[in-house]
Amino acid sequence: MIKINNLNFGYRKNQLLFKNMSMQLSTGHIYGLLGKNGAGKSTLLKNIAGLVYADSGSMDVMGYDPSKRQPALLAEICFIPEEFYLPSVKIDAFVKANAGFYPNFDHPYFTALLAEFDIPVAQKLIDMSYGQKKKVIIAFGLATQAKLVIMDEPTNGLDIPSKAQFRKIMASALTDDRCIIISTHQVRDLDNLIDTVIMLDENKVALKASVEEITNKLCFKRVKEIDDKVIYAEPSLAGYNAVLQNFHDEDSKLDLELLFNAVLAEKNKLKPIFN
Amino acid sequence: MNNTFSIQRFGLLLKRQWLEFGKIYLITLAVALGVIITFYSFATWNTIFEQRLFSERLLNFREPLFLIFGFLFITVIASSYFAHLGQKSKAIIDLMIPASTFEKFLTGVLFTAVLSTVSFLVIFYLTDLAFVSKLRSIFHNVDTATSFRDSYGKVVETRDNLAFFFTRNYPKEFTSVFLLTPVFVTSIFLLGSIYFNKFHYIKTAISVMIFSGIWTYIIVKTGQTMFDNKIPINTGNGENISKGLIELGMFSLLLLLTAIFWVITYVRLKEKQV
Repeated sequence: MIKINNLNFGYRKNQLLFKNMSMQLSTGHIYGLLGKNGAGKSTLLKNIAGLVYADSGSMDVMGYDPSKRQPALLAEICFIPEEFYLPSVKIDAFVKANAGFYPNFDHPYFTALLAEFDIPVAQKLIDMSYGQKKKVIIAFGLATQAKLVIMDEPTNGLDIPSKAQFRKIMASALTDDRCIIISTHQVRDLDNLIDTVIMLDENKVALKASVEEITNKLCFKRVKEIDDKVIYAEPSLAGYNAVLQNFHDEDSKLDLELLFNAVLAEKNKLKPIFN
Repeated sequence: MNNTFSIQRFGLLLKRQWLEFGKIYLITLAVALGVIITFYSFATWNTIFEQRLFSERLLNFREPLFLIFGFLFITVIASSYFAHLGQKSKAIIDLMIPASTFEKFLTGVLFTAVLSTVSFLVIFYLTDLAFVSKLRSIFHNVDTATSFRDSYGKVVETRDNLAFFFTRNYPKEFTSVFLLTPVFVTSIFLLGSIYFNKFHYIKTAISVMIFSGIWTYIIVKTGQTMFDNKIPINTGNGENISKGLIELGMFSLLLLLTAIFWVITYVRLKEKQV
């Protein structure tokens, strides 16, 4: 669905954010895009959506060049930005003005999502809280039935019950012809939701692997002592939370936060494992 | 799917833009109407309500009000049209709307060059009609006498019943230039609204002043260089050049400049990044 080939991008000419980045994303997956502040998570999403233009390299999204902003492609992209503005109108008016652009817009599904998110439909959008607005825009985006769903920090501003609802809705929104990319720095919010992890660090993709591949190759467990088998460890109450190479096909649950820190701290040890 | 223009998408975009832009537009229109009515009320209050004597100079403010305030109105509307694209939160939603750049640009032209100009003309005309009609109904016995010497030296005297308020200053020559001027002016400010990220109006106005200054300087200096120490051989004061030709020249220049500004606006919109 998305082919990124030798992408070079920088907000300033001499300061590249992405250097020769290449990656392919396919349908039927929920990708979790992780990275430090300033690693370029939002910028990569904007590149995919055609909101910024690459300095060089190519980008192919569903056969289109996103930088051309063709309506046929835009109708298949649902982009939920971190910061957004909604006009001072009620939801009905907002839907009337915008839904027509999306040929497959699903009105009953939108109504169901609003009900699930407990949105006061009679209220004007501008009078809603940030979290409520975010839920409206997520519901609208999913109801467009767009094939590519891009979400930048979607759980920011959502309360705890809403985060659980969000995970449930997103899991049910994934279909075989849909690709969902979620960028976040709150890795716990993506627990049990994403099936592939993409980590950005130092101008490139530091890790791109499915959860299955990660847990096949790495083992996340609590150890009492650190030995040379441990790739990365963090002190905990009863010893250390450690990442080890999975030599004995042990079953363990992916700890995204631990993996994230391990990738940043021990990229040289992890690189040969995933290559 | 046609990725350049679709009438159905264009219609949807007009509806959507009205939802976004309509409120600002209607507020600005209401303010403009209020200002026009205030001017007329101040000028005619004593005459209408206190039955003071009628003076021909009573409505002398109309032309400057129409020109200055009309200019302000259409330029404010034009310079606010793409202004939201300077804000990340608004720009993302707007650029991701599934409509082509051409449709988005055309909507901007329609709202700024056509709708704002026509609506200002309508509110100004209706306000003027109302006040002048009231004056004519009060002073139906008042005649206006105007005497002047015609080209043969004969003194001519005309009398009418305040009718001149409806007829004078109607542009009989250069009409096409007058009609194109608001379109030209809005094209500059529409470009300013997408070119700058903040303070669109003031930055556009300053840029226009600077460019006009440079343009005038170049023209004057070129003229001086070309014609200094030369003797004019035609003393007909340009009478041999028909006014129609001058009008055509001015119209073509304005049209060309308008087209250039629109093309730059379109390119800026196409290249807009968030």
